[in-house]
Amino acid sequence: MNHQNHPELAEAFNKDFERTTWHDETLWFVRQKRDKAVYPIPEFQDLRTLASEIKDHTLSNLDNYLIEFEQNAIKNGVKVHWAADAAEHNQIVMDIIKSSCKVEGRNTRMVKSKSMLTEECHLNAFLQKNNIDVVDTDLGERIIQFRDEPPSHIVMPAIHLKKEDVGETFHEHLGTTKGEKDPQILTEAARQHLREKFVAADVALTGVNFAIAETGSFVVCTNEGNADLGVNLAKVHIASMGIEKMIPKLHHLSVYTRLLARSATGQPITTYTSHFTKPAEGKEMHIVIVDNGRTQQLGRADFRNSLKCIRCGACMNTCPVYRRSGGHSYDFTVPGPIGAILSPNIDLHKYSSLPFASTLCGSCSDVCPVKIDIHVQLYKWRQIVGQANELPAAKKWGMKGLAKVLSMPKVYDLGGKLARGALRVLPHGLTHNQSMNPWAKARELPDAPKQSFKEWYEENRK
Amino acid sequence: MTSREKILNSIASNKPALTTLPNVPIFEGDGSIERFKTVLEGIGGRVIEVASKADCQAAIDKYYSDLKNVASDIVKANVAVNLDTTKEILEQVDLAVIQGEIGVAENGTIWVPEINMLNRALPFITQHLVLVLDKNNIVANMQQAYNKLENVGSYGVFIAGPSKTADIEQSLVIGAHGARSMMVLIY
Amino acid sequence: MKVALFIPCYIDQFYPNVGIATLQLLEKLGVEVAFPMKQTCCGQPMANSGCEQDSKGVYAHFVDTFAEFDYIVTPSGSCTYHIKKHYDIIEQTPAVQKVRKSVYELVDFIENVLKIEEIPVDFPHKVGLHLSCHGQRGLRQANASEITGVRDGQISKLLRKLKGIELTELDRNDECCGFGGTFCVAEEAVSARMGQDRISDHLRNGTKVLTGGDVSCLMHLEGIVKRQNAPIKVMHIAEILNGNQP
Repeated sequence: MNHQNHPELAEAFNKDFERTTWHDETLWFVRQKRDKAVYPIPEFQDLRTLASEIKDHTLSNLDNYLIEFEQNAIKNGVKVHWAADAAEHNQIVMDIIKSSCKVEGRNTRMVKSKSMLTEECHLNAFLQKNNIDVVDTDLGERIIQFRDEPPSHIVMPAIHLKKEDVGETFHEHLGTTKGEKDPQILTEAARQHLREKFVAADVALTGVNFAIAETGSFVVCTNEGNADLGVNLAKVHIASMGIEKMIPKLHHLSVYTRLLARSATGQPITTYTSHFTKPAEGKEMHIVIVDNGRTQQLGRADFRNSLKCIRCGACMNTCPVYRRSGGHSYDFTVPGPIGAILSPNIDLHKYSSLPFASTLCGSCSDVCPVKIDIHVQLYKWRQIVGQANELPAAKKWGMKGLAKVLSMPKVYDLGGKLARGALRVLPHGLTHNQSMNPWAKARELPDAPKQSFKEWYEENRK
Repeated sequence: MTSREKILNSIASNKPALTTLPNVPIFEGDGSIERFKTVLEGIGGRVIEVASKADCQAAIDKYYSDLKNVASDIVKANVAVNLDTTKEILEQVDLAVIQGEIGVAENGTIWVPEINMLNRALPFITQHLVLVLDKNNIVANMQQAYNKLENVGSYGVFIAGPSKTADIEQSLVIGAHGARSMMVLIY
Repeated sequence: MKVALFIPCYIDQFYPNVGIATLQLLEKLGVEVAFPMKQTCCGQPMANSGCEQDSKGVYAHFVDTFAEFDYIVTPSGSCTYHIKKHYDIIEQTPAVQKVRKSVYELVDFIENVLKIEEIPVDFPHKVGLHLSCHGQRGLRQANASEITGVRDGQISKLLRKLKGIELTELDRNDECCGFGGTFCVAEEAVSARMGQDRISDHLRNGTKVLTGGDVSCLMHLEGIVKRQNAPIKVMHIAEILNGNQP
């Protein structure tokens, strides 16, 4: 993977001007809904501070909280598994299915509600190779599963698609009328299709929004009801969670449930906030606790607080770059600003362009319900990318040269004078040559004045 | 070394110095029926006030006379649902009428513990859902709700309105996988 | 009170009139201003590009140039933010600490050091204010829409009091213009698109004069205005407050 990937993918995205407009406006609409849901809550900023401090504390005592959680979950009759990485997570899921959901003469059927962790682990592909039919039941996830695409947003996985695209996909896979694009009708078709899958499922997998040390419970939030429908009909429930999902006490949910949906979609709360503590009579509940690079991030003092993320997606909706480049331009499970600070931890080389896919405007940090200083971390990752020699050569040497010039006033003064002189006499076609000067593709250069301020000052004030 | 030990050891060596856990105050707020009603109707639910719990039957007769298969331990039911009810029977339920425990005015959500559900799948698989709620159990916000909630039992859900999705172009569609409509009868 | 003027590199080279307006404005407001001739740049262009380590020499030069002053005033929220926020990687000598504390964005200096709330200038034009992110969210010079729906800030406070002025009500009050330092060339497509969208918002809502506290944003936006031949005149806030007319 070319490490200048984001600019190239973003440029390709921008080739379709109207669609870029639509994508930007759709996501901005979500940001506006978020504002309308946030402004009337007088203690919203206090809640952000609380949410941030609770998570800071939890991370500072994470091992003990995980142990407490595990002990309580076991007491509740839940089986707890630990996975150091994605491969182990997938194998554990596979083993649970093999031992608990034996079926004869057909593939085991899994229904899965939205879980970014399983996207991160590429679980679907692994299970399908092992003769397990996986059906994503979140509508957005189902759409992209049909299309064999990764999600472009962590809350709205199919936000890059227009209703016409979904209509086409459903025509192909669900037999809806060709040209049908009414979201109501398409959603109804998915409902009918997925109800069959829910009823037929042997095993249901969910993600985890919050895990509570005090009680050994975990909470899953959905709007569609697909998590509850899946797990309450299947015999086995597997919940995959990253280690960072912990919170100490049940009542801490009162902070996060007021922040999550308001930040995510502008709803006052998700339709279903489901608290799972014990399996139902005769059924099984498993929790897989996954590291996959998270403990490494915990060890990076400048970046550890990215683990506070509650996956609301608000930083994506607010990011002017994300809105105009699309989730796929990040080429990482979690796109947008938060993805740009999580991904370099996983593969600095591959994702070295992501910390630069930002103007450092800081909107992400101000919108974040748990106050992650995202734009500060983007700046810090840039330095690490620079130190690791991952910058494009032209930029690296250009910056070294510029730094030299700017620490020598005489050289700077002379250089500026020569450059301005050249800009004044060179023809517009040359100074605005689009292959040599990317600035000039859509912008004019400023007029080069005869005198710099310094020269004016010397002449008029000294 | 097991992965469990590996992860816990790695956390122990990588975690920052212990910080203090803040106290979460019980924020004040408007816990009125009016606010609860406005908010819940804003997210697609319907709120009907009845004089007493006994009047729920009349409301169900009035609003849901067209629905055939009803499961409930509050009003007259013709589908018996319990822990052992099969998926095939659950799938046929048109209306479930269930007791809700705590209503939250700020977000229109209602706490439904497992013991009220008859079967864990019922509130989700039913085509239409009615929750019955004592007006004295409406609180202002989630701090007050969790404060009132002594424990979450084996399984329990805050339900706020009907099942919904906006996954196609952000167009809101009511009735994704769960209940197509949701009504709250407040007594 | 010893006050120094810092004119950032790109203003010095490409927008000397902004520097001149800043100097004249401060003098009109009764401030005696020194201009140290050996000044160059705050070091931000390299640092934002991931070459913070290469900037250390520039930081040292900046501190050396300005350490003797009580206040360092500059017509740039972005450079001010950089010095305050990112000069933490060099040894925090008393001089470094003093410089980081003493640097002020022009309007912040006028309102909070000089305590001037109104400037007697006629400006009978419809003015659109572009909030620079570093001034707004970095230095907290204006409310952020992520936090509150109330649109207010230091620059709009002063602007609102000019005679005859009308301020544009934008659809998106504080969306970034897309300049972003080297972002403007490294991510050219997104950068240009962001700028075009800002200009559309201003055009849609009637802006005739576009202003702001950072020449970097304005240079980018002006580049788009000129390419599109849009009927908007771009002026830095210092020029408007100095009484310059479009």
